[in-house]
Amino acid sequence: MSILSENAPARRRRITTESAIKAFFGSNALVAIVVLALITIFLFRDGFGFFGQNLANLRLYRRAGLEYVDIIRTQAQTHAALSRQLGDIRMQESRTLPSGSTLEAFDQFSAAFSDSGEFLNALVSDANDQALALREVLIAAGSASAVSSAEAQPSETAKPTAPVDPRAAMIALRTADEKFAKIAEGMKGKIDNLLAAPPVLSSPKARQSFEKWKKKTRDYVAQFPVVSQRLRQWNANEPVPAYRAITAFLFGRDWVTASFWQDWYGIIPLLVGSIMVAAVALLLAVPLGVCSAIYVSEVAARGEKSLIKPYIEFISAIPSVVLGFFGIAVVGQAVRALSQMPFMKWVPFFPISERLNVFTAGSLLALMAVPTIFTLAEDALRNVPRGFKEASYALGANRLQTIARVLVPASLSGIISAVLLGLGRVIGETMVVLLCAGNRIAIPDFTQGLGAFFQPVHTMTGIIAQEMGEVVRGSIHYRALFMVGLVLFALTLGINYLAQRLVARYRMSIG
Amino acid sequence: MVSLVEMPQAMPQQLSRQNDRRADEVNGAEIMIDVRDLDFAYGANKVLHDVTLDIPPQAVTAFIGPSGCGKTTLLRCINRMNDLIEGARITRGAIHLGGVDINAPEVDVVDLRRRVGMVFQKSNPFPKSIYENISYGLRIAGINKRSQIDEAVEKSLRGAALWDEVKDRLDEGALGLSGGQQQRLCIARALAVEPDVVLMDEPCSALDPIATAKIEELIQELKMQYTIVIVTHNMQQAGRVSDHTGFFYLGKLIEFGPTTKIFTNPSERRTEDYITGRFG
Repeated sequence: MSILSENAPARRRRITTESAIKAFFGSNALVAIVVLALITIFLFRDGFGFFGQNLANLRLYRRAGLEYVDIIRTQAQTHAALSRQLGDIRMQESRTLPSGSTLEAFDQFSAAFSDSGEFLNALVSDANDQALALREVLIAAGSASAVSSAEAQPSETAKPTAPVDPRAAMIALRTADEKFAKIAEGMKGKIDNLLAAPPVLSSPKARQSFEKWKKKTRDYVAQFPVVSQRLRQWNANEPVPAYRAITAFLFGRDWVTASFWQDWYGIIPLLVGSIMVAAVALLLAVPLGVCSAIYVSEVAARGEKSLIKPYIEFISAIPSVVLGFFGIAVVGQAVRALSQMPFMKWVPFFPISERLNVFTAGSLLALMAVPTIFTLAEDALRNVPRGFKEASYALGANRLQTIARVLVPASLSGIISAVLLGLGRVIGETMVVLLCAGNRIAIPDFTQGLGAFFQPVHTMTGIIAQEMGEVVRGSIHYRALFMVGLVLFALTLGINYLAQRLVARYRMSIG
Repeated sequence: MVSLVEMPQAMPQQLSRQNDRRADEVNGAEIMIDVRDLDFAYGANKVLHDVTLDIPPQAVTAFIGPSGCGKTTLLRCINRMNDLIEGARITRGAIHLGGVDINAPEVDVVDLRRRVGMVFQKSNPFPKSIYENISYGLRIAGINKRSQIDEAVEKSLRGAALWDEVKDRLDEGALGLSGGQQQRLCIARALAVEPDVVLMDEPCSALDPIATAKIEELIQELKMQYTIVIVTHNMQQAGRVSDHTGFFYLGKLIEFGPTTKIFTNPSERRTEDYITGRFG
């Protein structure tokens, strides 16, 4: 009773103090939550605007006939690629050839092949101009506002020509239907003639590649009628379904911006780049992190422990830009130099030409992920009840058996969540990949096998950091970068969620 | 390397060499574990002083004494579990198991531990299935034949009086068992590798009286086959299950002898005081 019988003012004072404390801490939490919510809303609002603009972008691509021209262009490009391959075959052949002897027959053959595409290239170039002119007309007519300012500018300056009737322009463009069929016919004749009298090659390797090439060329010629058919059936007024705006982003294999032709915002090359870099980083960081955690928690003497642990944790104090710098100056250089050493010749994809590539970026990111993985894995291992370890030793297990059969399984979910958090760190890291990944926006050539990991890529984080500063606010490019950010956000959120669920499970199993 | 597993079970004649004083106290016969003049220290902290005792085979030997008196440390010396503790070492004396110095450099500690099983104070089944818990010791010993393992699992579970309770759920997690069942599982796990000696470090301290009674009953059965050394805080338990009792105080073995003698007619004053509850 004595507690309650205090005087009223004191009680009131206490209540106000308490509510002040409550307000102070509460408001801090509130600010954090509000800011986070605002960021998320902002991200989503600007991100989702992308799809509308992308749809308009894709519709214009069709209505202006760019899509049509690209069908023809693909043919010309395939032809050019085949020509290039002939060059490669020539290289193989000349390497084995004794000096002095000539490759005249082969050179003639490849020159003839190259020439056979002459008319096709001319057609592409004409159609290209026509389609661009048509697009300008359409843009001027206000049909599409969704062209990034970067490309809207040149179109304004290059437009003193009199306005053309879009319909007439389209009819003019479509004459390419007939032209293509005719040109294809001619090419088929020429190439067939060439294939009928192929040059003789001496080197077995070159011969093999040449056989492959011939098969490809035959296939190429054989598909001309199909292409003609496609061209004829192509319809500029066919509507572009709305879902294309999303699929073109999620599954698009090109990221082309500020182009005079068509902008593409496909996330695949960036996603592939990010995933490859992360894969390399994890592949290196997981064994390093987990094994050093095992060493520190199970094998090391106390003195070593007190040295190794802070040392590894110290790595995370290195600023990422410094690591990136180190990557360019040391790691990239060293890996390339190593790949050029004669004794490394047995590796099929060596020597590598790019200093900055997936591997360089991945190995530095691994360095950043090691402290995260190490610290959390070490915690998990240390939290395995001592009884498990003792029971195992008491049954006559040696140290390796105890580690492999008892300690690691018992702490597995903790170790997995450590790896996942390391992955989250790696996926979200920007500076190192921007500096070291080479920043070429292209899906690496996986036909090279593991060599793909020594090619430059661009990443989701890198592209945002690189391009966000230059884009016009509100343009499709700007919003596309926001969408990339959203994908990244979703990815890291998913990874963290998974990690937390595992941690929760792991706590239960230990308790 | 001397393989302890293939050693003759005990070599009484050879071992009783310096045993004249102890021999009558342990009824003359064979000796399984022979602890001689043992000093033990954790770093600079000496915890065992000049302990000498002989543990006979196929009997239960109990170590009693107040907390911190070194009885658990001695127990853990017998299968060299103290090797795992940094800075812990025997500073003087030796322990012989069946005539072989267990700390000799040519002794393989893995063999030793296979021959000297241990059950801990807190039941510590692995977070695996019941079956895997029992088979663990066999698998790490390189036994992979399913039929052989199946047989050993059943045999050791029967040996630990657990078979009837768990035979239908061998693949379920061991952590789902009750505390007493878990402890008997740990005993079964220790038995599966067919040791000669089973060390028990306060195996019932975390159990209720019914579970305790079951374990004690089990110990009585096990001593037909195994040499059992048990550390206990519970003097009634020592009196009920053991044949020989050693009383430890402040790192010294005060008295060692047949349990009936220690409990009814101790020769040392401190033993009597402890047993009658005057301190401890």
